[in-house]
Amino acid sequence: MNSLVQTESLAKTYKLGNTEVPALRGLDLAIEEGEFTSISGPSGSGKTTLLNILGLIDSPTSGRVYLEGAQVKYNGLTTLHRIRLEKLGFIFQTFNLIPVLTAYENVEYPLLLTKKSSAIRKELVERALKDVKLWEFRKHKPNELSGGQRQRVAIARALVNSPRIVLADEPTANIDSGTASEILDLMRTLNEEEKVTFLFSTHDQLVLSYARRVVKLHDGAIVNA
Amino acid sequence: MFKFIKLATKNVFRNRRRTIITGLVLVFGATALILAGGFIAFSFRGLSESTIRGQLGHIQLFTEEALQREEERPLELGIDSADAMKRKILALDHVRFSMARVEFMGLISNGDKSVAFLGRGVEPEKETKLAGFALAVDTGKFLGETQANATESEVILAKGLAKSLKAKVGEYLTLMTTTSKGALNAMDVKVAGIYSTGIPEYDERALMVSLPTAQQLLNSAKVSKLVVVLDETDKTEEVAQKLEHLLPGIKAKRWFEMATFYNAVVRLYNAIFGFLGVIIFVIVVLSSSNTMMMSIFERTKEIGTQLAVGTSPLRLMMNFLYEGLIVGALGGGLGLVVALILSGLVNQAGIMMPAPPGSTRGYPLIVDYVPTLYVAVFLLIAVTTVLATIFPAYKASRLKIVDALGHV
Repeated sequence: MNSLVQTESLAKTYKLGNTEVPALRGLDLAIEEGEFTSISGPSGSGKTTLLNILGLIDSPTSGRVYLEGAQVKYNGLTTLHRIRLEKLGFIFQTFNLIPVLTAYENVEYPLLLTKKSSAIRKELVERALKDVKLWEFRKHKPNELSGGQRQRVAIARALVNSPRIVLADEPTANIDSGTASEILDLMRTLNEEEKVTFLFSTHDQLVLSYARRVVKLHDGAIVNA
Repeated sequence: MFKFIKLATKNVFRNRRRTIITGLVLVFGATALILAGGFIAFSFRGLSESTIRGQLGHIQLFTEEALQREEERPLELGIDSADAMKRKILALDHVRFSMARVEFMGLISNGDKSVAFLGRGVEPEKETKLAGFALAVDTGKFLGETQANATESEVILAKGLAKSLKAKVGEYLTLMTTTSKGALNAMDVKVAGIYSTGIPEYDERALMVSLPTAQQLLNSAKVSKLVVVLDETDKTEEVAQKLEHLLPGIKAKRWFEMATFYNAVVRLYNAIFGFLGVIIFVIVVLSSSNTMMMSIFERTKEIGTQLAVGTSPLRLMMNFLYEGLIVGALGGGLGLVVALILSGLVNQAGIMMPAPPGSTRGYPLIVDYVPTLYVAVFLLIAVTTVLATIFPAYKASRLKIVDALGHV
């Protein structure tokens, strides 16, 4: 069990009234440290559900998830948020920045949840914002930034706590193709230089072209190994 | 913590119009409570002073035995050597003066009809001094100061008793009672005046004579009680304790222990104030929780994001409680300022309140400045707002992240 993330027979079924809709059907997947992997598939194939379960913001109906070799207990409310805080980074399709906070404060937010000192927080936020080339925009609020800039702030926020893996759900879906390339270049650079593990979902061919490994999903099952 | 308070402050002012409306509700609540509380405080102050000046004085002194059992004969358990005691009392700080009273009962007759009475022997000049003005006598005059220069004993009758006896000023009546030694005694008295006690039942039976007349009728030099009048009502407890220490065998009763009407009014006003407080509490709770629920509804996706990046449910709940505290503190604080300004304006305006029952004179509408009331109202508003936030905040902290993130 040496993989960074591993799933065993992972299944998720949604109930819509009396109908059960399977979203994931017994997935076995392993993500190694340093990977730059895309999960692809058509709408409804289970990409987002898989990312949500791996990101501990949804729970599986059955099966197991291991993170750094330890099985995740999805009913452990008190420990799940600490795992999310310390080991996971999340990038959302719609950026999901806190509108009343500046770029700097948005990136600093996860650090406020830790016991890091003010000086260390400042150093980490500065580094994260410089990594995404937005230091000069640190005092801007999200509504004063372009879509690409917002997503870069979101990336900085996801990276600032040095997570073991960054999960990105269609990170370029809401930005134009030029900006999407910039974002993907940035993610690749962070992967290569900072050894950050990325797992992202997409059905965009441009995004897929950046991935080193593509996991194809169809009807909740992996169709390629 | 400072950063989270800063975040909460930004969230509070995110929707300014809504925050202002909620804040106005809090300002209104705080102002209403302070104005009502200040007016009630003024009323209590006025009523306590009128109770003290009306008849009770600040402290009344009795022998210990008189408070423990009923007298079998008049003045059996009365105070001896009242004059010596008065000199000792007068030497104490904050004592303005003291005076003796004799309480007795008997029959009063006009020759045709005899009626039971409740009599009081008083020192007329000091009774007038206690009231601050001459006691209200409807017809005739109040009792003379002493009997030293008078050729005959005088009585003033409560109006019901005078009516019952068909007595008029200047007529003679006969007082009959049992003396302190158990013998029967009678005395002719001239009606000096007819007065009103303000209590209809008491008006049917009450009369007053001078202290020497009462003592002569009862054939005793004792008095029933000594009434002590102070320069400051707040010193009542302090002086009462000193008196009990100074005068062995004597017990002091404070004015508020005897003021039945005052205590009833205090209970009534406190109940009204409490009811007002409950209404405002409910308004604040409904208004604040509604605002917070709307705020949470609008920020559902953001809450999902915060939880997704590692915010603990407790931390999230605390963030919302900070918001409640900020709104409460701002609304409550502003309410204090508005209340202070309005109190000043009301006090300056010279508004007159209608005469209360049993009185022919109105009284000014005054709102007292009571610092503890301001502190209490501020805390009430702030704490209530926080309490009102708990449920919405709890609901927010328990949102399913995946559902919250999908909220549109």
